[in-house]
Amino acid sequence: MSWTYKRALAAIILLLVAVASLSYCAAGLSQREAVRITVIIKSDAASSEFWQVLIDGVYEAAEEFGVQLEVRGSRSETDVEAQIALVEQAIEEQPDAIVLAANDFDRLVPAADRARASGIKLIIVDSGINSDAPHSVVATDNIIAGRKAGEAMEQELARPASIVILSYVKNAASHIDREKGVRAVLEESPGNRVEAYYVEGSEENAYRKALEILKSDQAVVGIVGLNEPTTVGAGRAIQELGLKERVVLIGFDSSVNEIKLLDEGVMKATVIQRPFQMGYLSVKTALEAVQGKKVPETIDTGSLLITKQNMYEEENQKLLFPFVND
Amino acid sequence: MMKPPAFLRFRSMQTNMALAFALLILMMVLIMIGVSYMLSQDAAQANAKAYTTELVKQVNTNIKAYVNGMEYITDMVDRNPYVQQYLSPQGYQTEGEAYHGRMAVAMFLESMAVSREDISSVSVFGYNGRFATGHPSLELNPYVDYAQLNWYRNAQEEGGAYVISSSHVQPVFKDRYPWVVSLSTELRSRSDGAKLGIFLIDLNFSVMNNMLQDIRLGQQGYLFIIDAEGKIVYHPQQQLIYSNLKTEEITRVLQVNNASFTSGEGAGLKMYTVQDSGFGWKIVGVTYMNELVGNLDEMRLSFIVLGLVCIVLAVIISFMVSRRIGQPLKQLQSYMKEVEKGNFDIQVPVPTTIEIGRLARAFNMMVGKIKELMAQVVQDQELKRANEIRALQAQINPHFLYNTLDSIIWMAESKRSDEVVLMTSALAKLFRASISNGEELVTIHIELAHITNYLKIQKMRYKNKLDYEIQISESVRNYMTIKLILQPIVENAIYHGIKMKRGPGRITIKSEETKTDIVIIVADNGCGMEPEHVSTLLERSGRADKDGRGVGVGNVHGRLKLYYGPQYGLRFESTPGEGTAVYIRFPKQLSSQPPESVSQAGGANR
Repeated sequence: MSWTYKRALAAIILLLVAVASLSYCAAGLSQREAVRITVIIKSDAASSEFWQVLIDGVYEAAEEFGVQLEVRGSRSETDVEAQIALVEQAIEEQPDAIVLAANDFDRLVPAADRARASGIKLIIVDSGINSDAPHSVVATDNIIAGRKAGEAMEQELARPASIVILSYVKNAASHIDREKGVRAVLEESPGNRVEAYYVEGSEENAYRKALEILKSDQAVVGIVGLNEPTTVGAGRAIQELGLKERVVLIGFDSSVNEIKLLDEGVMKATVIQRPFQMGYLSVKTALEAVQGKKVPETIDTGSLLITKQNMYEEENQKLLFPFVND
Repeated sequence: MMKPPAFLRFRSMQTNMALAFALLILMMVLIMIGVSYMLSQDAAQANAKAYTTELVKQVNTNIKAYVNGMEYITDMVDRNPYVQQYLSPQGYQTEGEAYHGRMAVAMFLESMAVSREDISSVSVFGYNGRFATGHPSLELNPYVDYAQLNWYRNAQEEGGAYVISSSHVQPVFKDRYPWVVSLSTELRSRSDGAKLGIFLIDLNFSVMNNMLQDIRLGQQGYLFIIDAEGKIVYHPQQQLIYSNLKTEEITRVLQVNNASFTSGEGAGLKMYTVQDSGFGWKIVGVTYMNELVGNLDEMRLSFIVLGLVCIVLAVIISFMVSRRIGQPLKQLQSYMKEVEKGNFDIQVPVPTTIEIGRLARAFNMMVGKIKELMAQVVQDQELKRANEIRALQAQINPHFLYNTLDSIIWMAESKRSDEVVLMTSALAKLFRASISNGEELVTIHIELAHITNYLKIQKMRYKNKLDYEIQISESVRNYMTIKLILQPIVENAIYHGIKMKRGPGRITIKSEETKTDIVIIVADNGCGMEPEHVSTLLERSGRADKDGRGVGVGNVHGRLKLYYGPQYGLRFESTPGEGTAVYIRFPKQLSSQPPESVSQAGGANR
């Protein structure tokens, strides 16, 4: 009886081991953790429609792919120190990926390098940094966007002129690239004079700067605002001075105020981005990077030139009039 | 029959049974898992479909309620005389009248929209250039030409029918860019049917949006709405669709009414449930099939775990059951082995299992029967032996008598009457001492007395030709022996040894003893025998040869063997011309009880 009995006993033990390992596997399978992604944006200000739409996209992707999400932002776009601190804090928490919209092209680099070094996947959204650390950059190709604005300006002016660029902050990658794009087009035609001013991150400053320029220099016939506050600020100045027939305003992004400027003919065109796509794709790309898939170095979410003529077209409505907070 | 594969070649019934049970249960569990998995998969799909359909219908009802409300207001406005007059080309007579007419229309429109959060604006745009709206604060946007807007143009084209727009931004009012769904219609004069203008009612799209946003079908599923042209009214990922990051099966949705279809492959397999709203829109619920399957995966997992637990339990139980059956059989087998060895004094304990219990009882009965039969055989053998001994005994008596009478006859012929008297009295003594005594056993002492008497008689007959000597030590004289064992040997020694010999012969009777046995040696210095003769001498135990002689030696040998066992009896040592020694061997026995070797002899008698 002994050998068959032993064999049977061995069979039972084998079966038990099989069951144990299987149920262990099963437990492991069901307890698979959700990917944790921390999104750090430029500004948590609820007033910025751009960021709200972007965050909508982030949430949409997070919901679709089942990502455990954490969204943070510095109080203002100029608060670089606060953003660095946010990145450091995120590194401490060791999420699977960080999605970052950098407030500063250079100063975020060390923090980004540390994030990458600690094994966190780093995805840049909207505004890049001067580093190879990011796995992928999901942003509007701002040089192309700048070129679109420059081309619109040139079309409106149709003659050599003096043009002012109002830039929100000095060292944000998006603004640097937009300025490059605008300049590339406008400086191509001889006789154009292009000058850039920095307004230190407020609409009020942009308004004052535009007022000052328009009053002091009659030769200025074109203003390019590189983002929403600079455009609206410049628009207010033009309206106040009653110069909408003489001065061409080309803007970036969209808001109710910009729409009004467009409706009223103060602003001739605005280059809009696709913040929803940016938010959505940044999370999706981060997830793919975490899953070990190869992600493209840059993803251009594209830009669109909106004029009074095409502003009510179906496709453009959704980009121009995002109903957040409705 | 084919030989089963090695792993099935278990020898024990117990293992075979356990294996069979386990396999059976395994199969049943697997089949049950398969069936219930398929059933639950079907059920999950059917449930999902029913749920989605129900939800989509619910949404449709809600949206329709809004649209119906708008249609109701439109009807009211259409019939309102103030509106009719306000929009009529004739207009008013006086400024005052015009002002009052305008106020009346505005108030009427306001009353339509009042307490309706979902209504963004209610307005009329007359072909006569007049405009009125329900919200006093609203002004027309001077930068927008409303006659170019879709809702205006479509209403004109439809000529009196309702036009429901897709969701869009309404730029017609100053400083307001709300997302709305517009219902517009061209108003006609009730008196002459002349075209009066366009009536517009805007529904806040946020109302619908909020309602739709929170609807999720499962983890990833969602709901979207398209209008009759396939334009998206609502989609949670509208932006992704516009930028081609996502596509939706709009053409297929447009082709079906109130039905479901599936699209995509693998993990992206989606079920579209389409509901026609009745006013041109289609409400579509999208469910991801892999989610249903995902749920099923968990279910399958738990089925498998449960099944394995069942199998383990089944194996354990089947081993226990088969052990319960197999163990008594094994026990029975071990008892059978005992019986095989010859031990019949066992009783198998009767197990509680009915079948095995019967078997055990039958076995016990069989063993009992065998034991009984064995005893019977032993008894029979014993009886047979006793009979045989008695027969041999009976044979020896006449033999002895014949020999003695022969001697007496010989003496009587020689007229030696004194000696005849002596011999006859010795014979009488002998008979009294031995034959008349029914006992089989006598002491060696008595046996020696017999032989001394016998030798006395023979001495009378042979005179100096016969000489004898008895040297039996006192220590053996009290042991028992079967009677008349010496006389035939001595007789043989005289007639075949000494009588044939020239000159005087001598017979010596000695004894030897070992720890267990006694050997009495009857030696003569007669003519001896050839070895062939010796070997034939003992074979005919009790049977006479053709001249009736030689009965005695065989008889003694036979009786010794029968009574004490085959290892006892006679042994001859004989040298022709020198003499013969007969070794009579039997066990030491003090009482007249049958010796132990009897039963052994019986046992060995098989």
